[in-house]
Order: sequence, then structure tokens, then C-alpha cells
Amino acid sequence: MVRAEHVVMAGSVLALAVLVVLPLAFLGWGSVTADGRLTLENFRDALSSRLYVQALRNSLILGLATAVLSVAIGLPLAWAVSRTNVPGKPFIHFTAVISYLTPPFLTAIAFVNLFSPRAGLVNRFFRDVLAMPGFTFDVFSMAGLILVTVPHTFPFVYLLAASALESVDASMEESAQILGAGRWRTALAVTGPLVAPALLSGALVAFVNAIALFGSQAIVGLPGRVFTLPTRIYALFDYPPQYGLASALSLIFVALTVAALYLQRRYLARRSYVTLGGKGSRPQLVDLGPARWGVFGFCAAVFVVAVAAPYLTLLAVSVSRSWGLHFWENLTLQHYRFVLLEYDVTRRAIWNSLILASATATLAVLLGSFVGWLDLRTTLRGRKLLDYVSLIPLGLPGIVVAVALIQFWLRVPLPIYGSLLIILLAYTGRFVPLGVRSANAAFRQIDPSLEETARVTGAGWLRTFCSVTLPLARPGLFAGWLLVFVPALQELSASVLLFSSGSITLAVAVYNLYETGALGPVSALAIVTMLIITAALVVATRLGRGQAGIPRGERGAVAQ
Amino acid sequence: MAGIQIERVTKRFGAVTAVRDLSLEIGDREFVTLLGPSGCGKTTLLRLIAGFMTPDAGSIRVGARMLSTPTAVVPPERRGMGMVFQNYAVWPHKTVYQNVAFGLEVRKVSRGDAQARVVRVLELVNLAGLEGRYPSELSGGQQQRVALARSLVVEPDILLLDEPLSNLDAKLRERMRWELKELQRRTGITFVYVTHDQSEAMALSDRIAVMHGGEIMQLGAPRLVYTRPANKTVADFMGLVNLLPAQVVTFAGDDSMVAVGGEHPIAVALPPGTVAGQTVQVAVRPESVRLIPLSAAGTPGVVPGKIAEVTFLGNIIDCYVTLDDGTRIRAQVDSGRVLEVGQAVGVEFDSRQASVFSA
Repeated sequence: MVRAEHVVMAGSVLALAVLVVLPLAFLGWGSVTADGRLTLENFRDALSSRLYVQALRNSLILGLATAVLSVAIGLPLAWAVSRTNVPGKPFIHFTAVISYLTPPFLTAIAFVNLFSPRAGLVNRFFRDVLAMPGFTFDVFSMAGLILVTVPHTFPFVYLLAASALESVDASMEESAQILGAGRWRTALAVTGPLVAPALLSGALVAFVNAIALFGSQAIVGLPGRVFTLPTRIYALFDYPPQYGLASALSLIFVALTVAALYLQRRYLARRSYVTLGGKGSRPQLVDLGPARWGVFGFCAAVFVVAVAAPYLTLLAVSVSRSWGLHFWENLTLQHYRFVLLEYDVTRRAIWNSLILASATATLAVLLGSFVGWLDLRTTLRGRKLLDYVSLIPLGLPGIVVAVALIQFWLRVPLPIYGSLLIILLAYTGRFVPLGVRSANAAFRQIDPSLEETARVTGAGWLRTFCSVTLPLARPGLFAGWLLVFVPALQELSASVLLFSSGSITLAVAVYNLYETGALGPVSALAIVTMLIITAALVVATRLGRGQAGIPRGERGAVAQ
Repeated sequence: MAGIQIERVTKRFGAVTAVRDLSLEIGDREFVTLLGPSGCGKTTLLRLIAGFMTPDAGSIRVGARMLSTPTAVVPPERRGMGMVFQNYAVWPHKTVYQNVAFGLEVRKVSRGDAQARVVRVLELVNLAGLEGRYPSELSGGQQQRVALARSLVVEPDILLLDEPLSNLDAKLRERMRWELKELQRRTGITFVYVTHDQSEAMALSDRIAVMHGGEIMQLGAPRLVYTRPANKTVADFMGLVNLLPAQVVTFAGDDSMVAVGGEHPIAVALPPGTVAGQTVQVAVRPESVRLIPLSAAGTPGVVPGKIAEVTFLGNIIDCYVTLDDGTRIRAQVDSGRVLEVGQAVGVEFDSRQASVFSA
């Protein structure tokens, strides 16, 4: 008799094979072949050419600098929110969450408008109005690249550090205090070591995410000739495409990412103090006195750089006829009319992205539920391996997923290259780990006895699943759906290699418009993107109020 | 000298008063337990003594040294006390040795000296040989003893313990209870111990302070608090108790008579100020109720009743008896007795073990 679990298992294996395993295998194969024969010349080219070594170096510098700065910003914010009486805590949390949700290319474009060497508003203000050319800043540089990347990575550190700081039981610190240790000594000897794993983990996640952001690296890096691995890989697809070299570079890129994630895992596994005692008591808040306004000022500065400046800039550019020091004299809505009504490419892009993001979120959560259910509720052999395979894409930057899919589908006699379908496959493959983590967490908190009770009462397997398991897991699955929808809607790294004129996506449309120099429409479209994300979040929160809230810690945990 | 003087201390959290105008004097080398249900303010009082909280009114002194007033609080790290937490709070990233040695490092004790003291204190709590282990490799009882050793190694004059045994299983709890008592005798440290377990409090303490609603209801030696509870709250909290409605027949101080279960007079001691005819409640513990054959009925002090429920518990029999007027009394008697539901019995009260409260 064919049992339900076998069907689910077969479906999951097939899906993961097509989404993850086969494309990766073809990527590996493509990297060691040239004109049909086995060779290592792709890797030799990649590692000997100055071009690529320089890109590797830049990616490393970007990743490390971003990780360090993310800690420098995320840790004080986390400490202030969880341990002090700093004013405006919801505002600080809001800053981190908005920064996390903002599409990276949006920040990059905004900062180009402010700090491009000649036309940047701030630069022009210092040079032309104040006649202080020394205060200008060229965003098309490594420093600029780091500046536009950090707003997207510090929330990882913030979220992980905040939840770690909150989970340290107050008695851990009070024990040190009563033994005679002052505040600093306690922080160094007890609190520090206890939150260090979470902090390091946040830094490594920041590193991994920073080096994978194609958008900022293309928008800010390319004009300044700061090449990184993603932009170099992208360039290899210019005619004539060099698939072998792109595959080799992709694998080197993956090695970098996987090394970082491996370090994170290892460090966490060995020194995880997550279960810190039974009855948790909250630490007493440090009274900062007047210094709390200084701390608040720091938080406000982060808000200005990460949220206020980009959004206000984009808003201003999107409603002005010409961008400059007197932009408010010619306000207009023509850019919005253009991208929403007149220009068919952007209209198509909006629809495509909405369809893709919804479909991806549904598929990822569905597949995640299968994998999670098999893992937690059956004893089938290979279910752990399945779970493990489903997490592999965590180590794959978006552009690598695209290269792998191209390598695979070019050799399969199914004409999906250039269609929405291949983008859907890329997205689903990329985001399936988020679905698996969410579903796993949702199922894990349902005690099996609840399902067993239903079975004993006489309900069949399907009935039990539909009337007990699913309703209980719904809030978690719903949160997972949202967790996939938001990044899928703004996906650029993979789409940029896979799209065609018919399957263009929002982020690609923004990027292409930016390339043509149409700053007004670009900004309008960026604002539209953010409005769609906000609307999705609002609708989702309404629908799932009281049950589907994404817990603070989960986002960071899942994102890793 | 490490006596603690708590004078008229009040601590509020918003609208809730956790500790209300409370005074308590704890003697040097004394073992005092703060006993009460959760929310009675006992942990708040302990944390006030430790210096983790500032009183809203009142003061706390140790000897001549003023530690806490609403305006000035000596921080915990400069009080030289020890404290053991309910969840042990053993640092998971330090070995047993490092955990215990921490307080000595802070006090800048030389390395060799520290080592000798750590070894000695680990022997005292029976943990010798486990110096290199991490807390995750220890059982609950061992972690608990690490916490204890960590507090003892710095030789505090005062040790504060916040429900230190509540996370242990019953057997271990009993053993640790004995070890704690033994330890206190040997070290001569003043112990302030918080618990909600009345048998723990009775086993350990020189004196028990029963707390309720942020106030001390009664302060006294365990036996006194158990046998002569100051009010119904204390009587109820200190163990099982029957509260029987009764009517005062004659008032004559310790030789008064009250009627229970209808018109059956029994002899009890009545508090001064009681008058004949007044309705009162007689508090009597199940083990102070005797069941005798009904043939003795009619003798003064014996109340007739019928057995309503019998539960065999091994060491005792737990049963309920219904009196003529419908009052139910719980009695715990020798397990050798044969009792059956419906059987008529005479109930006799040990009046020396009974207390009377106004209704």
C-alpha cells in the first residue's frame, strides 16, 4: 500500500533535486569542463587573473568591514533597547526592522542621488553653496559601497544580540555583582562571554549577506570601478558568455560563504548557552541618567542614515522635475504616472513580481511543510538528509543560484530559459530554507499528543492534519510565507541574469531604469516597491493579528 | 557581628505594594526563613537586603553600617554578602573551578591562596574532583552545590538564599536540606532563607517569618508558629488545618468551653476579650484529631460523627468525618486502624493543639 508519507517524501525529493541538487551538480560540472573535456583551467583563470583576484579581495574587504560596522552599530542599539532606560525603544526597534525590509538597491540609488561626485545633492551643497569642496564624498568607492551596505546588515547583529541579551537571566549577572564585581567587571566576565556567540553569529550573517548583495555592488561599485565577485560573474554573461569561468567563480564565491556559515555553526554549536535556566527574570535596566540622550542621539543618527535619508531622498527625487538644490520648485507626479500607467515594462514588472513573490512564498512554505513534517512526524530513512539538503541554499548567493540554473536548464531540453518559470524556480530554490525553518518551528511547537488524541478519537490521518495540525501551525506558516514574500518581491541578484523582456521583475526594472539614467522614474518605482511591501505587511498583520506576529528573534534566526 | 536590622521598609511596584512597613531583626549567626506563598513579598525583601532594590521607605542596616535608605543604597558588590539563586545561576561558560574562584579573583586573592580556598570549599560541599567540569556536565544537585560553594568561598558574614532547593527532586531536596543546616552550624554564617515550602522552613530555621501581602504575619520558632499560629492565614499556610465553626459556651481564659458540631462542648483556650455566645473558629490540625469508639460518646469533650471518606496513605489513614450539624472534619490517624465509610465514631480534639480565631 502506498502511504501518504511515501508520496510526500517522493515529492519533496523530486522538488529538491530539481531546485537545488541538480543545478548545483551542473554548476560543479560546468566549472571543471571546457568544450566537453575535463579541465581545471577555469579555476586557474579565476585564481590567476588580476581581475578576479581583485574582485575576491574587494568582496572580502566589503564583507569584513560591513561585519565590523554592523557590530559597531547593532550591538549598542541592542544593548540600549534591552538593558537601558534609553527613550524611544519602539523607534529604535522600528529603525532596525525598516532597515532590514528596505530593498538594498533602493538605499544605493538614494545615496547616489546624495553623494554622486558631480550631481549629488550633498556634494553640490558643500561645493557650490558653501564652497567647501573638502567636505564632498564620492559614493562610487569602497567606502561608499560599505556605507550603502551596512544599513541592511546591522539589523542581523541587532536582532541576534538583542534576543541574546534578553535571554541572559538576570541572576547570572547578579551573582557576579553580589560577589563584588562592579558593572564593567560583570559585563566583561559574565554578560560578554554569554552573548558572544550570538554576536559573532550576527557578524558572520552580516558578512554573508553583504558580499551577496548584487544591487548595491552594481549600482555603487561599477561606476567607481570597485569590482566584486557578483559583479564580475555578472559581467561574464556579456556576449560571448563565459559559462565555465562564471561557474568556477561562483564556486569560489560559495566556498567563501560556506566557510563563514560553517564557522558560525561550529562556534554556536560548541558554545551555545541558549537554555539559560528556568524561571527567567529580566535584568534590571541600567539608568543612564542624562547620558541616555546621548545614546538616543546615536540611535537617531542611525535612523537618519539608514531610513530617513534614503526615503526622503527617493521621495524628493520621485516628485521633482529636475533633481538639484532647488528641486521643490517643480513638483510633479508625472514619474508615478509614467511607471504605473504609461510605461508597459514597469507595469509588467510589478505584476510579474507580485505573481512571482506570491507563488514563491506558497511553494517554499508548502515544500518546507513537507520537509518539516517528514522530519518531525515520520521515521522514514533519509528525512534528516532531506532537511539538510533543503538548507543548502543558505550558502548560495542569488547570482550563484542563477548561474547554476542556467547551467542546468541550458542542457535540459525544456525551453524554460527566459520564462517566468525559471525565475520562479530560482526564487523557490533560494528561499526554500526560510520555508523549511518556519514550518519546522511551527510543527515543532505542536505536541504530537495533540494529533494522537485526534487519531484515538477516530479521525483519520488527513482529517487530523486538516483539523488539528494545520490550524495550530497556521500562524507559524503564515509568518513563514511573509518571510519569503518580502525578499522575493525585491529579488535582484538572481533575476538580473534570468529575466527576459517578458519576465522582467520589479528590481530588474528599477536597475535597468537606473542604468538609463532616468532617476525620477527609478525613484518613483522604488517608492512603489516599498509601498507594496508595506501593504503586504499591513494586510498580513491584520489577517494574522494576535497569532501570526513574527517573534523578534525568529527573523534573525531564520535569516541565518 | 552580622545581624540585620530592617526597619519599617516599604517597597512598591507601581500600584502594588510588595513590602509594607516591615520591620525585622535578624541576629548574628541566626537562620531565619522568610516563608510565604508566591507574591507575598519574600523575594522582594531578600533582594532589598542584597541591595538589588532601593526601598521606598525605611532602612536596612547590618550592625552599625547603614546599607539601604530611600536615598542611598550601598550597591550589592560592596555589601560582602553571598547569595544563592533559585536557578543556581552557575555561569555556563566557566568551569566549576572558575565559577567558584571568581569572587576571590575580584577580591584580588593571590593565585595560590585562592586555589587552596577553592579546594577546601569544594570539599565542604562534596564536589572535590569536579573542578574542570562545565556546568552542563553536572546534575542539578551538583550545580546547586557549585552555587553554594561560590557564595561560601568568599566567607560572607551573611548568606541569602532564594528558594535554592525548589528545582531539585524530592529526595535530593531532603539531603541538601540536611547539608545546609549542617553547613550553617559549621560556618556560623547568618542565613536568610526564602521558601514557600513550610516543611523546609521548619526543618532548617531558628526562626520563621511567615509573610503575607508584604507583611510579616508571625515571627517565631518553627514549633511555635506551627502549634500556635497567630491567625488563620498562618494556620492555613503552615500545613493542613480544620477550621470548625463554634460557639463560646463559657469564657475562662485557658479553660474555656466552646460548642462544635451541634451542641457538643469541648475545652479550649480562648484569647482574652472573648465573650459567651460569640461565634468563633477552632483551628485544629488533622493529626490532632482522635477517633474513638462511639461507645465512649456522651463523655465530655467527645463529639459524635460519621465517617464519610477513607484514604489509605501507607503511613497514615486520611479520612473525613461528618458531624451532626454537617461540619466535615479531616483526621489523620494511625494506619493500623480499621475504618469504614458510614461507621459512627466519636471525635476527640487535642485541645492543647487547637487555636481559636474570631470568625
